[in-house]
Amino acid sequence: MTLTFVLLTLAKILGFILVFCVILAAILTWVERKMSSIIQDRIGPNRAEILGFRAFGLFHPIADMIKSFTKEEFVPAGASKTLFFLAPAFALVPTLCAFAVVPFGPGDLVISNLDSGMLFVFAIMGFGIYGVTLGGWASASNFAMLGALRGAAQMVSYEVSMGLNVVGIFAVFGSVSLTAIVGAQGHLLWGWLPMWGIVVQPLGFVLFLVAAMAENKRAPFDLPEGESEIIGYFVEYSAMGFATFMLSEFLEVIVIACIAATLFFGGWQIPWLDPTGTAGGWITVAQVAFFAFKVLFLCWFQMLIRWTVPRFRYDQVMSLGWKVLLPLSLANILATAVVLALVV
Amino acid sequence: MVKVKVVERPPADLVVQSWLPELWKGMKVSGRHFFVNLLTQKGIVTSQYPEVKRAYPPRFRGKHRLMRREDGSVRCVACFMCSTACPADCISIVAGQRDDENEKFPVTFEVDFIKCVFCGMCEEACPCDAIRLDSGVHRAPAYTRKEELNGKEDLLSLGSLSVARQGGEFK
Amino acid sequence: MPTLTIDGREITVEPGTRIIEAADRLGIDIPRFCYHPGLPVAGNCRMCLVDTNRSPKPVASCWDPCQDGHVVVTNSPRVLEARRAVLEYILLNHPVDCPICDQAGECDLQDLYFAHDHQPSRHPFHKHHKDKARVLGPQIIYDAERCINCTRCIRVCEEVAKAPQLVQVQRGERAYIDVFPGTQLDHPYSMCTADVCPVGALTTRDFRFKCRAWLTHGIQTVCGECSRGCGIRADVYRNAVQRLVPRHNPDVNQYWACDAGRLAYHRFETGRVSAVRIGGAAADYAKGVRDVAEALPGADARGVVVVLTPWMTCEDVGAVVAAVRSAAPGATFAVGGAAPGIQDDILVRADKNPNRNGVAKVLADLGVTPVALDAVLSQAPSLGALIVCGAEQAKAEALAGALAAVPLSIVLAALEGPLTAAARFVFPTTSPYEADGTWVNESGVTQRVRRAVEPVGDAKGFEVWASDLADRLGTPLAARDRAIGGNP
Ligand code: SF4
Ligand code: SF4
Ligand code: SF4
Ligand code: SF4
Ligand code: FES
Repeated sequence: MTLTFVLLTLAKILGFILVFCVILAAILTWVERKMSSIIQDRIGPNRAEILGFRAFGLFHPIADMIKSFTKEEFVPAGASKTLFFLAPAFALVPTLCAFAVVPFGPGDLVISNLDSGMLFVFAIMGFGIYGVTLGGWASASNFAMLGALRGAAQMVSYEVSMGLNVVGIFAVFGSVSLTAIVGAQGHLLWGWLPMWGIVVQPLGFVLFLVAAMAENKRAPFDLPEGESEIIGYFVEYSAMGFATFMLSEFLEVIVIACIAATLFFGGWQIPWLDPTGTAGGWITVAQVAFFAFKVLFLCWFQMLIRWTVPRFRYDQVMSLGWKVLLPLSLANILATAVVLALVV
Repeated sequence: MVKVKVVERPPADLVVQSWLPELWKGMKVSGRHFFVNLLTQKGIVTSQYPEVKRAYPPRFRGKHRLMRREDGSVRCVACFMCSTACPADCISIVAGQRDDENEKFPVTFEVDFIKCVFCGMCEEACPCDAIRLDSGVHRAPAYTRKEELNGKEDLLSLGSLSVARQGGEFK
Repeated sequence: MPTLTIDGREITVEPGTRIIEAADRLGIDIPRFCYHPGLPVAGNCRMCLVDTNRSPKPVASCWDPCQDGHVVVTNSPRVLEARRAVLEYILLNHPVDCPICDQAGECDLQDLYFAHDHQPSRHPFHKHHKDKARVLGPQIIYDAERCINCTRCIRVCEEVAKAPQLVQVQRGERAYIDVFPGTQLDHPYSMCTADVCPVGALTTRDFRFKCRAWLTHGIQTVCGECSRGCGIRADVYRNAVQRLVPRHNPDVNQYWACDAGRLAYHRFETGRVSAVRIGGAAADYAKGVRDVAEALPGADARGVVVVLTPWMTCEDVGAVVAAVRSAAPGATFAVGGAAPGIQDDILVRADKNPNRNGVAKVLADLGVTPVALDAVLSQAPSLGALIVCGAEQAKAEALAGALAAVPLSIVLAALEGPLTAAARFVFPTTSPYEADGTWVNESGVTQRVRRAVEPVGDAKGFEVWASDLADRLGTPLAARDRAIGGNP
């Protein structure tokens, strides 16, 4: 392990996770509010200003941040203080870790090129459930506890089908390493069609997106936090605790977008252009930019869904997970296996 | 006999149950609003309050104002009719005697806008046309409860001359 | 014994009874202005007209005595028309400034107008104007325009206060009430004139413009300013006493009360003890009681003395004696109290304590022989503990000295004073308007004192304190001992 390697990794962490992802998450809070407002024919937030500039409300994330830092950190009587403050970190850190294996550009432009790639993502995202359950339990509030139970049940249920959904991808591309999967998507089918995940696994993509959004606990699957009710695992949180939960939620939106882009949209691949990622120069820059574009598009798409579909009822969420997604995922694997057996 | 109209539910076939066509329709709607409003702002129905204000209806009830007599003094005679009529019990008056006659006047006159529901009962109860809700001024939010207690001076500053006579002019 | 019929109902009364009294006994309401059951009859307002079989035209029922075989009708069309006409006449020059009139809401003229007249004025000319806000005396202000010249006020001064200070001057529509030149309406019962005034002509400086009558709710209680114990009604608005008015009690005060008693509530508006103090520092009530409960039993060896006050209710005395005895079985009790003052032949008594009789009775029942206060004062330095109840102590200075000398000094008082400054433990107690219990007046009439307003701060009745102390000592008072008082 050379010093250059350490420095390079730190630079990648800084550039990709801290600059791109965290700032994008902050901007997403603005995008979400602005988007909801214009979808609902409103003007939306535009009041925060710096020196008279309002920038369409782009300063609202900054105002939110200042507010979160200065608000009272409220701890309910009877709460377990240590766990109460740890829970937001448990929600945030796994999400940040998941970015480590996402190849945001060709070659070395990935923080850690793990062979276990996607499995690492699943493993580390599985930790997110601790944030939810600890947050709910440590608040010493029945409503938070109920929210946490809902959250735990929902996350466990959808983790199963989310894992099964990508088995098809693994089968088609023959690897669980994200770098390898992106590389494989550079191939062309019949000589002209880019072999993206969405082309070879269309059902897999739909199921993955649904499961991932449910995993993220955002509308229409936002029962564990229920913004419009008082049930929710972080009802008792205020100030930075609350902001951390919120931030990790938006980061998860980006994680989902990154993973979906990597698995189903060819990662940094630009169709018909330098599939091996060895060209370097401006082409590499374009590839990184194209990856960023895909991520942004998928974030936008998730928000569009969030502001279109009304919330499910809790029993509907559970039966969708176990009775629809799971059988469909299994069927998808079976079909993939049959096709692969026949074609290859 | 009551006529019962049975509304047929659409058949819950697989296409409907898959959600996808309806989801697609919904996404089209929200997507259309998104792009139209993003590019042209045509559909936006809200306005930039407080820079842009809509006209209030003529009978809008805003903050109270205390009316004045010809000599500029307060018309109110501290009769407590308004505070008696007030369903929110938010008017507090301390009465004193005017220098010249046997008439009362309010030494202090406080309306607690936290409690006030702007029902206009006080205006209706007042025998002197001394209190009105036609200032057109909104109750503004405040940082402390004390700021919401509007005293006689505040209410008078919104007030103006009233020459109404009780029971009309004397023949 | 004449027997007569009023509105078809028969009644037998003593000779000389007026028709209006007989009707009152039957519960038949005859409107009136100048008649007052506590005053001699004047018969000048004509509001009480009724039809009888002994007279061709309606007669004043407050004046006419009942006769055998009298048949009285109080609601014939002729009577109703007569009432309406009388009212219209009385209201001819009336200013009808009810919105700023302090009587509004309890005004006989207002009520009867709505019951019997109820028509707009037919008087087409300018009304006759007279003096408004004329100061008659230190307590009373007079509005000549509202006066209906019933002369009740004059009769109160003459017959009740025995101080003929008011007089009617002028005649007809120019008549008004006045004091003699160079004099004032200043006898000790002057506020009774405002009570009897059926309209808003006489108002007390105390209540004038202060609050509207209909906003208050009245609590029937007892005045504590002297051992007469006049029945009073405390009118309360927003948890504050707005005024005290006499309440009819034929055994004690008839319809009257003295000015001093009616203004006494101002004494408790400032200078209240509102929090427990230990050694001068504010403390928690529970901690105060706990500390006393811990220290009191140890003081018994050197002697514990409790100075009671005849301002306590009977229940207070019983509870305090029981609680202190369970901590210090050898405790002795003395009775202090406010210094005696002036006395008159009407109501005011020299003993300025409301419950001396009751305290003596309760102590006798409990087998306590009170020791003399002077004896307590002389042996003070050798005592283990001294507990003084009530701020109204004639020997406050001496008691304060004694408190400073004993190791465990406790004062329970509503008002700050030398006692609360000298004691180590100070507990706030209720004012007479926050108290609840019974007082026994000088002639042995037992009366209920009711809580009119909520106590300030941590103030508690003596009885509540004693009961909490007993709980702390592990010897809770028997239910009998916490009969009334306590938290209602
Ligand atoms: S508007 Fe209604 S609530 Fe407000 S002060 Fe007047 S009477 Fe009271
Ligand atoms: S505002 Fe009108 S109703 Fe209220 S006290 Fe004054 S005069 Fe009476
Ligand atoms: S005396 Fe009675 S009728 Fe006359 S102004 Fe006063 S309340 Fe009204
Ligand atoms: S002042 Fe009152 S009590 Fe006296 S005469 Fe006039 S109305 Fe009667
Ligand atoms: S009450 Fe009888 S005349 Fe006045």
